Amino acid sequence: MSDTSPDGRGVPLTSLLPGERAKIIALEHGKGRQHHFRTMGLMEGKIVKVIAAQPARGPFVIDVEGTQIAIGRGMARHILIQKI
Amino acid sequence: MKKIALTGCPNVGKSVVFSRLTGVNVISSNYPGTTVDFTKGTTAIGGEKFELIDVPGTYSLEPTSKAEEVAQTMLQEGDIVINVVDATHLERNLYLTLEILERKKPTIVALNLWDETKHLGIDIDVEKLEQLLGVPIVKTCALCGTGIKELASAVGDAKPSKTIESPMSEEERWLRVGEIIRDVQVVHHRHHTIRERIADATVKPATGIPIAILAILFVFLFIIEIGNAIIEYLLDPIFCNYYGPWIVGVVNSFAPSGLLHDLLIGTSTVEALDFEQSLGILTTGIYVPFGMVLPFIITFYFMLSLLEDLGYLPRLAILVDTGLHKLGLHGSAIVPTILGCGCNVPGALATRILETKKQRFIAMTLMAITVPCMAQSAMIIAILGRYGIKWILIVYSTLFVLYISLGLVLKRVVKGESPELLLEVPPYRRPDPVTLLKKTWSKAYSFLAEAVPFVILGIFIVNLLYVFGIVDVLSRVFSPILTTLLGLPEGAIIALILGVLRKDIAIGMLLPLGMSPQQLTIACIILATYFPCIATFFVMLHELGVRYMLKAAGLMVAVSLSAGIIMRMILIGI
Repeated sequence: MSDTSPDGRGVPLTSLLPGERAKIIALEHGKGRQHHFRTMGLMEGKIVKVIAAQPARGPFVIDVEGTQIAIGRGMARHILIQKI
Repeated sequence: MKKIALTGCPNVGKSVVFSRLTGVNVISSNYPGTTVDFTKGTTAIGGEKFELIDVPGTYSLEPTSKAEEVAQTMLQEGDIVINVVDATHLERNLYLTLEILERKKPTIVALNLWDETKHLGIDIDVEKLEQLLGVPIVKTCALCGTGIKELASAVGDAKPSKTIESPMSEEERWLRVGEIIRDVQVVHHRHHTIRERIADATVKPATGIPIAILAILFVFLFIIEIGNAIIEYLLDPIFCNYYGPWIVGVVNSFAPSGLLHDLLIGTSTVEALDFEQSLGILTTGIYVPFGMVLPFIITFYFMLSLLEDLGYLPRLAILVDTGLHKLGLHGSAIVPTILGCGCNVPGALATRILETKKQRFIAMTLMAITVPCMAQSAMIIAILGRYGIKWILIVYSTLFVLYISLGLVLKRVVKGESPELLLEVPPYRRPDPVTLLKKTWSKAYSFLAEAVPFVILGIFIVNLLYVFGIVDVLSRVFSPILTTLLGLPEGAIIALILGVLRKDIAIGMLLPLGMSPQQLTIACIILATYFPCIATFFVMLHELGVRYMLKAAGLMVAVSLSAGIIMRMILIGI
């Protein structure tokens, strides 16, 4: 799998495996949710690490600069990242 | 009196700063017309009295939720603003800080959790930050009390910011936050501590699920075993050797027989003390709440507070998320469900953490039908336990199967959305023993304050119903359902009547009927499911509205009756 999509926009956060780290490139959510994410510390340019992925399409647990967040896959898919 | 508005994001230790600054005169109330709580108190700084308002914690002032609207209004009412900032998460906190500074009120910033920044390898240039924000900054550690005096004396220096221009757009604000962070903060790389490794193990499925199962098993055994030990070695000896003979003697001295005697101590005599079945206000009415239920209330809330203070509940929410999605809920719904195991009232209120009406309806209905409160569980355990653990397991497995199957159905038939989980997972914290005991005590106290009057009222009503022969009439009316369909003695109607008032005393009413363990098991399942107690009913009515409450009530009766009939066929036969 390439680290970025062909147009260089990054790949979904859900393509990361537990333990992998990546840089957040874009949040492709509605305005309200984007704002909510940023206030939780999830924003463009931040380094995110996947702590755990629950089985059976369960939520991801991620770490963004020391803050741990549990996030459903549907929402996580719209966070675009670049692997590092 | 000048007003100081204490503002900040959630979980920054704002309430601790508040209680450090104020004295004893603290009032907690709802903001008019909302369910948003806030607290206010007074404080004296340099001889001048101030009113201190603890504004609800929000991440921003954009009025997208009720809490944010209230925060915005309360901020406007303040003459001086203290903005409490979490120094360990400076970046996400600064957005709110900028919004506040744009309002040009005299402001000071409290850089809280300052002591933690060193452990986390975070360097903040406070002088530079002070220059950039244009308001005074005080480093604080509210938990240990450092910096609180300095914060109070800095109130006089509060000033409107000259460096932050206003108003900014959302994008400009985030850009500015980024610039400030680049100028003032350096984060040093450090290795994972052992504590963080353990924390991670509790959310990774391979390790987290076994840990969760062990934890739940331990909690369950602790609640039951310690509760039973308190009864066996402490309460029963007190009741049998001291309280019982004494109260029977006292009542006999002024009412040796007659209505008053029966009402107060029922059929108890000095030779044959009977706390469970005598139906006296001072025998059964005191023994049920104190001698049978209270020990389990204490052990339950001790464990619940421990899990809360430790920070385990969000982790549990993550692990059960996938399963709860199948029921139209998400992981966070585990919190109201666990609270409901203590008492359905706070459980129903806690469903507010769920985002949609659909989720809240499902969570509340499932809880009201299938989650027995601790008072009820204590009685089920006491009454069925004497016939063997098998019968207790049958009751709880039936309730569990109902929870799952009803959830699977409700997910499909209830209209509305079931959004995904989004949850901040706080770091584990070492629980403070004093806070833990205080919390447990306050729960035990409020149980007694609510339970004892209702139990006594219940026993009083039972006595009246028997004396006036109403029980006989109702027994005959409901006999087709109770006897023919459910295989119970018709006298069980008294338990169903009392169950609307309180479930614990209702289960106690089953004892004098001389039922078989099979019948008791069916009756316990019926009592748990058929209708919530009156306190839970009114909370649900308020939270759901009349229409949804009617739907929930219909489900309760239907589910209870079908479950009762099926269990009758399995346990007793047709």
